[in-house]
Formats: sequence, C-alpha cells, structure tokens
Amino acid sequence: MFKFFSLSNTFIWIEKLTKFISSIFFILLLVALSFALILSPPDYLQGDSVRIMYVHVPAAWIGLASFSTIALLSLANFIFKIKNIKLVTKSIAPIGLMFTCLAIVTGAIWGQPTWGTWWAWDARITSMLVLSLFYIGFILANKLIAQEDKADKVSSLIVIIGFINVPIIKYSVDWWNTLHQPASIKLTGTSTIHSSMLMPLFLMFFVLLLYCALIFLMKYKTEIIRIKKKNLKRL
Amino acid sequence: MIQNLISMNGYGIFVWSSFAITFFVCGVVYYKTYKTLKKYEREFAKEINELSREQKASVIENSKIASQVISSYSKTI
Repeated sequence: MFKFFSLSNTFIWIEKLTKFISSIFFILLLVALSFALILSPPDYLQGDSVRIMYVHVPAAWIGLASFSTIALLSLANFIFKIKNIKLVTKSIAPIGLMFTCLAIVTGAIWGQPTWGTWWAWDARITSMLVLSLFYIGFILANKLIAQEDKADKVSSLIVIIGFINVPIIKYSVDWWNTLHQPASIKLTGTSTIHSSMLMPLFLMFFVLLLYCALIFLMKYKTEIIRIKKKNLKRL
Repeated sequence: MIQNLISMNGYGIFVWSSFAITFFVCGVVYYKTYKTLKKYEREFAKEINELSREQKASVIENSKIASQVISSYSKTI
C-alpha cells in the first residue's frame, strides 16, 4: 500500500494522468464554453450579465475547496508529519490563490452592471479578500523561511487559523445583510437555480477542476524532481 | 446573431472581459508551470549526465524517476 504511494509510482501515475486529462480537456472546454456563452438562457432579471457566473462561481468554489484541502492536510501533517503532504499543499496553494483572485476580479466585474459598483466592503467580498491574504501568507512562509521545519510549522499554523474564515465566507450572506446574493445552490435543500443554468455551471466547474488537476500534477512533478535533484547532490 | 453574441444586450464588455481575464490568467499560469517543470527536468537530466559512468548507471537503475526524466529529456533533444 505504502509502496503504491511512493514517489516513483506517483511520478508514473502523474505522467499517465496528465496525458489523459490533456486528451479530453480541450473538447470539454469547447462544450462548456458553448453552453456558458451561447446555449444557456439569459437571466430574467440580470440578462446576459449572468453568464459571468460561469467563471465566477467555479473560481470561488475552487478557491474555497483548495484552502479547505490545504488546511485539513496541514492539520494531518501537523499530527502525523508525512513528507508527501507538504508537497501536495505546496502544489495546491498557488492554484487556490489564483482562483480566489479570479473570483474577486470577476465578482467586481459582475458587480458593476448588477450593483452599480465594482467594489463594496460587503461581508462576502471582504472575507474572500481575507482568504487571499491567508493564501499569500501560506505561500510566503514556505518561500521566505529558510529552515524547512520552521516553514512547515508557520505555514501550517497560518492555514489552520485561516480555516476559521471558510465557514465565515460560506455563511456571510446569511449572517449579515450583504449586497452579495444568498447561495442559489444548496448542499441540503432545493437549489433555486434552473437546470438550464445549473448544467453549464457544473460543466464549467468540471473543466476548471481538470485544469487545476493539470497544474497540480505539473507542480507536484516539479516538487518530486526538486527533491530528487537535492538527493543527487548528496552523491 | 454574431453581433448579439458580442454585445450580449449591452453586457458584452463585462461578460467577455470576465472570460478573457480568467482564460488569460489560466493560460499564463499553465505556461509558467510547464516552463518551470521543463527547466527542472532539463537541469536534473544534465546533472545525471554529468555523473561518472558508474554513478549514472546506478542512479538510473535505482530510480524510476531518473530513468523516466532521462528518457523524456533525450526525446526532446
């Protein structure tokens, strides 16, 4: 079991997975874009501006999911001290930061036609901005602290503290009066979004997830080679 | 129809710029990540090639990663 997860086996799996994802990615992207930009209907209130949702919402989901994953893995690393976990969290963080920033920027662009402003210090938007700061803190701690053990501890601490912000982001629209609309898609209960919009939304989410997987696999592979390079120098 | 697709009833600038920014950033990040990976692969392969014949043989024999990188690197040159 442990042999299966060894760096050598992981490296071979990464090669195979990257090839598979690359082969289906562009076809799925084209289908998702056709639905998002042409085939899905405009909203009865927001008109065609609702199409921004197809990049904004998946970007926000990925930003949140990546941070939650990093936090849970860092907690596990804090307790069990597994070297591979650190490689995974270090590879996920830049992807999460990128998508959090994209959610903020596309949200600002969506805000102009719907709210009449690019930015408001609203609970949801501010808490997303705070999330991006935690991401930056995590990445900087890993880059700037030379001692690996200390960098691990500081970055894990940052991300575990930052995890408190995740439920705040999720429930900010319920706890406070915000410009941001409440969630249309609910994990429990019925969603208030029509299937003609829900399908393209999930399709775009899936395509962006595949993109994340591609970037993650390349970053993870780079980290493995970096370790092997270090070991080579010891020869 | 194409004009409608571009203008999107006046929302075109917002919708297209959102998609353009998203895919531009994704493209740049993909390119940079790919470049970094290739740079590390190249450096790793170069370091293996600089080892003595015995050391190189033992590294390639004992490490699947090293042999894979060496083979993919020799394909690209």
